[in-house]
Amino acid sequence: MPTLSEYLARSKKIERTKHSKHQKGNNKSLKIALLSSSTIQALKEVLSVKCHDAFIKADVYLSGYNQYVQEILNKKSGIYKFNPDIVFLFIDTISLLGNAYFRPYKDSSMWGKKWVNDKKEEIIALLDTLSKKLSGRIVVHNFEVPTFSPLGIAETREESGFIESIRGLNVALQDFYKNSQQIFVFDYELFCSYIGKDRMRDDKMYYIADYKINPQYIPALSEGYMAYIKPTASIIKKCLVLDLDNTLWGGIIGEDGLAGIKLGPTPEGRPFWEFQNYILSLRDRGIILAINSRNNPRDALEVFQKHPSMILKEEHFASVKINWNDKVDNMRSIANELGIGLSSMVFIDDDPSNREIIKRSLPEVLVVDLPSDPSLYLKAVKEINDFNVLQITREDLKKGEMYLDQKKRKELLSSSSTLEDYFKKLETVVVVQKANIPNIPRIAQLTQKTNQFNLTTKRYTEKEISNMVDKGYLVVSVSVKDKFGDNGIVGVVIVERKNNIWRIDTLLLSCRLIGRGVEKVLLGYVLNLAKKEDADIVVGVYIPTEKNMMTKDFYKQNNFCEKKVKGEIVWEHNLQDKYVYPDFLTVEEK
Amino acid sequence: MKRVRKILSDVLSIRENTITDKTSPSNTETWDSFNALMIVSELEREFKISFTFEEIAEVTCVGDITKALEKRGIKLHDK
Repeated sequence: MPTLSEYLARSKKIERTKHSKHQKGNNKSLKIALLSSSTIQALKEVLSVKCHDAFIKADVYLSGYNQYVQEILNKKSGIYKFNPDIVFLFIDTISLLGNAYFRPYKDSSMWGKKWVNDKKEEIIALLDTLSKKLSGRIVVHNFEVPTFSPLGIAETREESGFIESIRGLNVALQDFYKNSQQIFVFDYELFCSYIGKDRMRDDKMYYIADYKINPQYIPALSEGYMAYIKPTASIIKKCLVLDLDNTLWGGIIGEDGLAGIKLGPTPEGRPFWEFQNYILSLRDRGIILAINSRNNPRDALEVFQKHPSMILKEEHFASVKINWNDKVDNMRSIANELGIGLSSMVFIDDDPSNREIIKRSLPEVLVVDLPSDPSLYLKAVKEINDFNVLQITREDLKKGEMYLDQKKRKELLSSSSTLEDYFKKLETVVVVQKANIPNIPRIAQLTQKTNQFNLTTKRYTEKEISNMVDKGYLVVSVSVKDKFGDNGIVGVVIVERKNNIWRIDTLLLSCRLIGRGVEKVLLGYVLNLAKKEDADIVVGVYIPTEKNMMTKDFYKQNNFCEKKVKGEIVWEHNLQDKYVYPDFLTVEEK
Repeated sequence: MKRVRKILSDVLSIRENTITDKTSPSNTETWDSFNALMIVSELEREFKISFTFEEIAEVTCVGDITKALEKRGIKLHDK
C-alpha cells in the first residue's frame, strides 16, 4: 500500500493531467460528494487516486468543515448544485453525542430505547431531505462504539447502557435501510474494529485539527468507500480465474503427485484448504469461477476427482483451461466461452511472472498480487472489493448453477442436427413482466452490468427505474427458463410513451442469452402493445460503445426504417403488421 | 535525510533537490496548515515516533524538523 504522502503526490499529478487529452477514452466519469462532521482532509485526494487506478474519472466534492447539516438543509447548497452520483455522509460519534460523549451519565435517564429511537429519527429525517433532492446513491456511516464507559465494568449491568445504546442505534439504522434502493449503511464500526480502535485514534491530530480518524488510515477508509464507488460506476468483476499449482494447493502436482501436494487440515495444507473454502463462498454469492493453468490436464483433474481435501470440484468451474497454452490466450478463450468481457475478470496466480504477463498483455484484467506466503492468501483474497454489488439479487445467488446449465446446453447444441432442432429441444419459455417492487433491483442491475447486447447502454439506479415507472414509462423485464434451468430475469426494455410516440430508451439482454431469439420477444412485446394501444410509431436509437457492436443492425433487421432527425440517426417502425415471435419460444405475459 | 526529503517532496509537490534547511512555510507556497499536518503524520509513521505539541509548534523550517528528529536519536546520515 502506498504511503499517505505518495497518495498526495499522485493526486496532484492526476489533477494536473485531468484536462489533457491523453487520458484513456474508456474511463467512466463519476461525481462523488463527501459530507462530514469532522476533518477528513486527504480523503478527497486519496479517493481521486484510487478512482484513477480503477479507470474512473472522479470529480470529488468536499463539503466545508462540519457543514453537513447546512449542506443538506439548504436547497441552494453546493451539494445540490454538484448533483453527485454518490454521497458519503460521515457523522462521527463525538459529534453525534456532543457533551454527552464525555459525561454520558450526567442525566441518568438519557440512554436506552427512547434515545435510540430519537437519534434514529433525527438521522432519518436528515437523510430523507437529502434523498428527496438527489437521485444519486447515499452511503451513510454507522457509529463507532466507544471503548470506554464512565461506569466501568458496571456498564453491562445498567438498565440502558451508554455503549449498548450506541450499538442499538447502529442496529436500528441498519434495519431501517435494509431494503432501501438509495441509501446504504457503511459499517464504520466494523471498519474501526478491523483497523483497531486504539490504533485508529490519533489524539494529537484530533486536538490540532479535529481528525476523528488517524490520517494514516484514510487510505484504508477510501478502500472501504471504493467498494460502493465501483458498482456505482458499473465496474463490477464477475469472474475469478485461478491458477492451480501453489495457488489452490501447495506444491506442483506434476512433480509432487497426489500424495505429495499440500492441502487439508494440516499446518501446511490449511491455508490452501481455507482459501478454497472462501473461493467457494464467492461462487455461492454469484461469482463465476474459471481455471487457467499450465499443467497436464490428466494430473490436474485427478486432484479434483480424487484428493479427499479438495473443496472445489470440477463442476464449480464454468470454464476450465488446463493445457500448455499461453495464459493470455487462455484468458481470452475463457472470456469468449463465458461471453463476458476481459474487464470483468480477476486473475489469481502465485507466479509473479505470469501475473506480469497478464498485466502487460491484458490491462483490463484485475490481477491480484498474491503474497509469496500462502498463509496470507486468504487475507489477500478477502481484500478484493471488486466483486461487490449493491444488492445481491436472486439471479446472483444462482449464477453458479446457471453457468453449469449453460455447459449442458452446449452439449445439447453439439448433439443437435440444426440450430432450429436445438432451439426446439431446449423448450424455452420467456416470461414477460412489467416492473414491480421485487424485480426492480434486478432491472437496475442489468442496466448497470450489461454491455454487449445493449442498444443505448444507459445506466440506472433502482430509484431512477421507480421514477420512470411512476412517470408512465413502460418498463418490462423478461425471464427465461428452459429444460436445463431457470435463468431468471435476463432482459429489459424501457419505453417512453408520449403523444402516441413510443421511444425505446433501453433494450438489453444479458450476454448468456444472446443468440436464442429472446431479444425478439423484448421488441415484439413493445411493438404489439404499441399497436394495441394505438400508438403511431415506435422509435429506437442505437448509441455505439466499444462493446455493443453486435446490436448495430438490430433495428434494421427488425424492419425499422432509418431516418435522420437533426443530424442523428433514428429508427422508426410504423406498426403495420403484427410482430410474430419465433415459433420455438413459448411466451407468457404476466 | 533522504526519507525526510521524499516525504516533503511528495506532500509539498516540490523537487527533492530544492529542499534545504531553510525551506519553510514562508518560502514554500504549498506548505499550508493541512500539508504541515500531513508532514507530521508522515514523519511519525516513517520514523515510528510521536512528536509532542511543543515540538510541532516550534517547527519553522526544515532545519527544525531535522533537529527535532536528531534529538530523538534518529541519525540522518546523508545530511
